[in-house]
Amino acid sequence: MISKDELEYLAQISKINLSEDEAKKFPEQLDKTIEYIDILEELASDDLNVLDLQEVKFDELRDDVVRMSEELRITKNLTEDGFLRGPKMK
Amino acid sequence: MSSLHDLLAHEVVEGIKEGLFTAEEYVSSLIKTIEDVESKLNSFITLDTEGALSSAKLIDRKIKENEDIGYLGGVAVGIKDNISTKDIRTTCASKILEDYVPSYDATVIRNLKQNGAIILGKLNLDEFGMGSTTEYSRYYPTHNPWNLDYVPGGSSGGCGAAVAAGECTVSLGSDTGGSIRCPASFCSVVGLKPTYGRVSRYGLISYANSLEQIGPICRSVKDIVLIMNIISGKDNSDNTSMSSSPITINNKLDKFDIAIVKELINAGDHGVTGTIYSTSDKFKEIGCTCDEISIKNLHYALPSYYTLASAEASSNLARYDNIRYGFDLPIEEYKWDTYFSNVRKNFGEEVKRRILIGSYVLSSGYYSKYYLKARSLRSLLKLELLKLFKKYDLLIGPTMPILPFKFGEKIDDPIKMYLVDINTVIANLAGIPAISLPIGFSNGLPIGLQMMAAPFEEQKLIDVSYALENTINIQRRPNLT
Amino acid sequence: MIGLEIHAQITVLESKLFCSCRGNYRDLRPNTNICEICCGLPGTLPIINKKAIEYSTMTSIALGCKVPDKIMFYRKNYFYPDLPKNFQITQYNVYGFSSIGVEGLFELDDSKKIRISRIQLEEDPGRIIYLEGGMNVRNSALIDYNRAGVALIEIVTEPDFTNPKEVRLFLNKLSLTLEHLGVCNTLMEGSVRCDVNVSMKGGNKVEIKNINSFKEVEKAINYEITRQTSMYNRNIKIESETRHWDDKKKITYKSRSKEEEHDYRYFPEPDIPIIVLGDNFVSNLKVHMPELPNQRFDRFVSKYKLSEHTSIILINDKKLADFFESTLKIYFSPVEIANFLITEFKSMIEDDSESTDYLRNMKVKPEHIAELVKMIEGNKISRTTAKDILVKIFESGLLPSEVVNNTNSFKIADEKILTDAVESVFDTEKSAVEDAKTNHEAINFLLGKVMKFTNGRADPKIAMRLINNKLKKPNA
Repeated sequence: MISKDELEYLAQISKINLSEDEAKKFPEQLDKTIEYIDILEELASDDLNVLDLQEVKFDELRDDVVRMSEELRITKNLTEDGFLRGPKMK
Repeated sequence: MSSLHDLLAHEVVEGIKEGLFTAEEYVSSLIKTIEDVESKLNSFITLDTEGALSSAKLIDRKIKENEDIGYLGGVAVGIKDNISTKDIRTTCASKILEDYVPSYDATVIRNLKQNGAIILGKLNLDEFGMGSTTEYSRYYPTHNPWNLDYVPGGSSGGCGAAVAAGECTVSLGSDTGGSIRCPASFCSVVGLKPTYGRVSRYGLISYANSLEQIGPICRSVKDIVLIMNIISGKDNSDNTSMSSSPITINNKLDKFDIAIVKELINAGDHGVTGTIYSTSDKFKEIGCTCDEISIKNLHYALPSYYTLASAEASSNLARYDNIRYGFDLPIEEYKWDTYFSNVRKNFGEEVKRRILIGSYVLSSGYYSKYYLKARSLRSLLKLELLKLFKKYDLLIGPTMPILPFKFGEKIDDPIKMYLVDINTVIANLAGIPAISLPIGFSNGLPIGLQMMAAPFEEQKLIDVSYALENTINIQRRPNLT
Repeated sequence: MIGLEIHAQITVLESKLFCSCRGNYRDLRPNTNICEICCGLPGTLPIINKKAIEYSTMTSIALGCKVPDKIMFYRKNYFYPDLPKNFQITQYNVYGFSSIGVEGLFELDDSKKIRISRIQLEEDPGRIIYLEGGMNVRNSALIDYNRAGVALIEIVTEPDFTNPKEVRLFLNKLSLTLEHLGVCNTLMEGSVRCDVNVSMKGGNKVEIKNINSFKEVEKAINYEITRQTSMYNRNIKIESETRHWDDKKKITYKSRSKEEEHDYRYFPEPDIPIIVLGDNFVSNLKVHMPELPNQRFDRFVSKYKLSEHTSIILINDKKLADFFESTLKIYFSPVEIANFLITEFKSMIEDDSESTDYLRNMKVKPEHIAELVKMIEGNKISRTTAKDILVKIFESGLLPSEVVNNTNSFKIADEKILTDAVESVFDTEKSAVEDAKTNHEAINFLLGKVMKFTNGRADPKIAMRLINNKLKKPNA
């Protein structure tokens, strides 16, 4: 059973504010989902051999070359000096 | 000329090249269709009819001057709104990206444009690709053109509806757990999820990176091939992409060994099952064998999918803090962490649920219990399928266990909604290609046949689909008047 | 017990770790060294820099670590305004996959080795500027992403240090090693950061963060040891906590930020496949990588026959050692040149060694030293004279021979040198010598030859005297 505290903790580390309505119905809904995925426990631990991994060869990777483009990537909230204004830290 | 919007993509290319009609006439025909039906369907989030018409005029000028217009010259494409299009607003059907205009094109978009395609607009989806009906779009749901009270499928619901209704000739969607095949099935069009890595994901706004692919939703198999050959290929901007050989249309079909997956059939609605079995008879007619087999680990597939997809989503969606891009919310009066939480309050419910589950399964107490187990299941499933593919060319079953359903039927119960994906997630987990082909109707609602093949064996899927398409005679266009 | 966690930027790279923006972000206008990838725009994917893997592997080799044949990247998930994706792509040692280096050993001196726990490759976040005052700006923080995505090597040691001096020695040797590899220029602003863990007498571990240069590390540790000792003496329990180093007030203070309490929810980075380094990767690198300080030391001693003492001084100053070897290319006399450099030369440039332009903007070049030492060895000038000439070269950049010709004060008065010159001339000009016994003009001819032999620098009076003396001798 996901407790109210656990839900608050998850919301906190995910940086999501829940509405009142969501705070009310999420514990049950999330519980159902967790119950549903609990079936994975049936898989034996020795099967923890992760074989589905894609590989790439070192030689195929990107060379160390600079390529700058002229387009401005950030357009909102810039100061005159070019800094991005974000919310205060403290 | 009034039925230009009914043409298939390869017919459009030929027609424009041969001067049977102009690109402008063709695009205008689509725009007229949109004007007639869009208010009923709500397939689009953003329409760029002006841009499309000027691109069309450019194509016409090139034709006059005998210039090359590319393999897709003039074809109007609808793009799912989670694929980056330069200078065209891209929202992922979320409030969080309401004002976001990308400064770059996804690789697939560049490929389309280089081949003369025209971008008509951005198509509706479930927010960030999470859902199976477009009911989770934060703007509005899309309606099924075959029956407006029914869902079109999802998450690429706008793609399915627009293509079926003739609002655009072809579309590009994305498939994480069935999001191309589900709407293809529910809207009676063809949808292909490529082998993982066949198509570049650069510019696809990530929901679950290890599971998803961009793919075409079209009205014919030939169009699928046309699009696939343009968007496939190893891309330096995507380290997970790989090179592949082009797909061809063959008029002769080799003898294939096909197997129906028992678990997928048994889970289905009667109306669906019956149609699948009668289709399998057709395989025998065209010279293929058709067995029935079982996939041992199938019942772990959906839980495994939701674990992995939620985990990746919780991380992929962390960047949406409205600092660098997003929507209008002043920063004053907030400390940084309360700002972030307030911004992200604007995610829809389903997105929030998946992020929370994702954080849960990745947290230190639970990582090996859920995430690692899901990964190991994935390997087991893939091994099992690869073994089966040594014996069989294709594995088949219904794309969806049920017929399209009405709005609101499943939205109050997340698990009910998740179960809709039960047939399609296998292909995403194993990274194998899968196609959905329309094969009939039940009570006026479309049924799709799903076929899966070994990695990079799209050719086999196309061969059988093309042959079937020519033998199955079903109504192709919905009546929306 | 003291342990270190060092972050060193791979300053040698042209581009960032996961995109093609410039690796050197310094002195650029804010938010101009960015692209859609390092800003975390939706739909973008990381593209790893091959050279970064090479340099971090070289670092692992230099620190005695094991390098795996396959490497993997992980996501470290946490929210912060300087982190464009709100996760950092890094490495993690878990479930059979290791980072670029593990279980290394670094020799501090003959008696002590420091165990290196791990080395990992990861990306740097952007920078947040905190503002002190002003109405307009008090309600916001300023963010600059120019640095976001720059390649970092993280080096973590076991808590094997027992005092701050050992730490200082380690950091000096580490800087030297990094300098030799060319991986990181530790003099560049912001190129190295160091966190320290200090625990005393089996007590709790205190982590000190925010030490922005190697120089400050020793001070921070000393402060912390003093603080902990005084708490211990007063029977106050030392909490396991994170503290920050304030380099203005020179104190550590308890960190109020909650970022340290994170559950980072590590999981494998799905956008970067496992990178297969290949069987010969490490062995190839070992052959081609720059010489390490120890290797250079051995070579100086065995090949150049320098003393160990001289070699150590040269090795510890890489730019001087490089200067030395450049000089050798022009005139091969290793022992003389080395000695000259570490005595006369070094004493003149001592103050400047901290600057990044050290040895670069001087007027004295290897050619000057080569010619100077050649002249000393050829007995053309004495060592004292050489030192004076060196001063003039520092000022003017002229070659030694030019300096000598322009100044009278460098006339050779040394009788031994002049005697040798006269002897040499007498040997070659036998007929003139015969003539000179009777003919005065021939004496002038001999004087001319002596002047020529000494490049015009012989003191003519003394030279004449010596010629006349020699002529008078019966065996002339």
